Amino acid sequence: MSDLPTPGHTDGTSTPLPNPLSAKPTVIEGRRVLGIVPGKPAAGESKDHAEQDAVMVWPHLLVRHAVVAVATLLVVLIISLAFDAPLREIANPTNTPNPEKAPWYFAALQELLAHFHPLVAGVLVPGAILIGLAALPYIDRSDFIKPKHRKVAVNTFTTFLVIWIVLTLVGFAFRGPNWGWVWPWVEWHGEL
Amino acid sequence: MQRRNFLSNLWKGAVTLIAAAGAWTTWDLLRPVSAGATGRVRAVSPDAVPEGGVIEIRAARAYLVKIDDQITAISEKCTHLGCRVPYCDSSSQFECPCHGSVFNRLGEFQAGPAPRGLDRYAVEVGEDGLLYIDTDTLEDGPAPGVDTLNEPPTGPSCTEGSH
Amino acid sequence: MTIMDRVRNTTVGRSIFRSPDRATDRDRAAGHWSNFFLHIYPVKMRRAEIGFRYSWYLGAISTVLFGSLVASGIYLMFFYVPSPASAYTNIQTIQTEVAFGQYIRNVHRWSAHLMVLAVAAHMARVFYRGAYKKPKEFNWVIGVVLLVLTLLLSFTGYLLPWDQLAFWAVTVGTEMAAYVPLLGETIREVLLGGDTVGSATLLRFYVLHVAVLPVAVVLTLSIHLWRWRKDAMLDTPREEPE
Repeated sequence: MSDLPTPGHTDGTSTPLPNPLSAKPTVIEGRRVLGIVPGKPAAGESKDHAEQDAVMVWPHLLVRHAVVAVATLLVVLIISLAFDAPLREIANPTNTPNPEKAPWYFAALQELLAHFHPLVAGVLVPGAILIGLAALPYIDRSDFIKPKHRKVAVNTFTTFLVIWIVLTLVGFAFRGPNWGWVWPWVEWHGEL
Repeated sequence: MQRRNFLSNLWKGAVTLIAAAGAWTTWDLLRPVSAGATGRVRAVSPDAVPEGGVIEIRAARAYLVKIDDQITAISEKCTHLGCRVPYCDSSSQFECPCHGSVFNRLGEFQAGPAPRGLDRYAVEVGEDGLLYIDTDTLEDGPAPGVDTLNEPPTGPSCTEGSH
Repeated sequence: MTIMDRVRNTTVGRSIFRSPDRATDRDRAAGHWSNFFLHIYPVKMRRAEIGFRYSWYLGAISTVLFGSLVASGIYLMFFYVPSPASAYTNIQTIQTEVAFGQYIRNVHRWSAHLMVLAVAAHMARVFYRGAYKKPKEFNWVIGVVLLVLTLLLSFTGYLLPWDQLAFWAVTVGTEMAAYVPLLGETIREVLLGGDTVGSATLLRFYVLHVAVLPVAVVLTLSIHLWRWRKDAMLDTPREEPE
């Protein structure tokens, strides 16, 4: 810290810094400087401390975010050049396509709808999921962060997540005409 | 203190009034307006409805079926989630493509996730001898378990053979 | 001295950036505070929290994808009229006649799908690292709201091409709302603006998609990021038994 140049002298070739001790002190009425203490580094010595150290967001995080942003946009660019967005025939209220598929993020719900009463699958289950998610931090009040110290929360969340992913995959790729079972490598009915 | 209470109540009252006005206006804007364009839809002559078959009246989004000379108008809209239910000639049943609900020729519930049979419209013979479907009078389909027709599928389902 | 440094040190540059030097941490912090765009960031963070392993940058990715959606969406709005008579042909025109139209539509579509994925993954990652714990509970709740808004944005956009995929997905989706006890049928008809999916529905979904929901996302996301910044150094590292 102390070897960094002061503002206005960033190029290093300008006049040497004035010695703070020889400079004329600023006198504030009724106060005086008791002494100048050499600064010590704010960071700790050990690796453990280093992980918890505060580092400047500018530039350490900003440069990472810039890389992430460019990488994300590149991925979007490549996908968009490689694949065209689907456009089916014009909407026709007198003809339901078979199978009729919801967007993939609702495929799990649609799969549930094929098995349970719509009040359960279309209203109660999504409602309970959202309320449960929102209430999560108020249910899991333990102070622990590491997954092994909050097994109940982690196991419950993982169970629901896996069920949801499986249902989404089934509804998205494994359902064909009349919502019958198909193998996606035999016939493909997924819609994006 | 009375003046402070009065001002406080005035303030709360004003906020409530503005909120109510906003809510009312929003509701009035978004309130669904009835389509109006429906009503009585002219269909076909009663003789044109085949006994043991089904014909579709596109304008009313309905089917007409004749069973023992009794004509019933059945809505095409699945009572599960609103898909159009096509009629399957080989099994003589209505089979919904969306989630596999099955209804018999009279629209009575047979299988699948639908909560009841297909809804029905009032149908009557007009002065000109043709059938008229009144699309304003939609009555809920028969409850599951009601099966007055009691007729097994006459053949293979239209959908099982498709994969 | 880089070009940017020179620009910052001109009279105009100083009036814009106020804290022209980036030499010491104090300058950087001052530059941070006086910059509208940077001030959504905290000035300092723990070293452990800026690496890939901590967040997988999923929140940043979601935000970037939202930006991509806003940009491509505005472009598409110039060529699209939300009415059943024109919507579908507008999309065809965009794909065949408008310069880069097909590409921009692809960007919009794929960014939307990726954003749903990224937001869901962000939520899962936050859960597994326990980042919803005190004092960040409420920011998690705001995150749930953002997830719902993302899904609604995607779903309302799904209707706009007015093709078979759109029409029937929205028919089924809104029929689900009809099963809500007591209010169900009313909710469905308010969403549709009528009895069935029609021109009123298309207009309603369009207004929701291009005005109401994006504004809601920007507002909610601002609160989300503001709280993230405020909480950055707030929670103390916990001592946990091994």
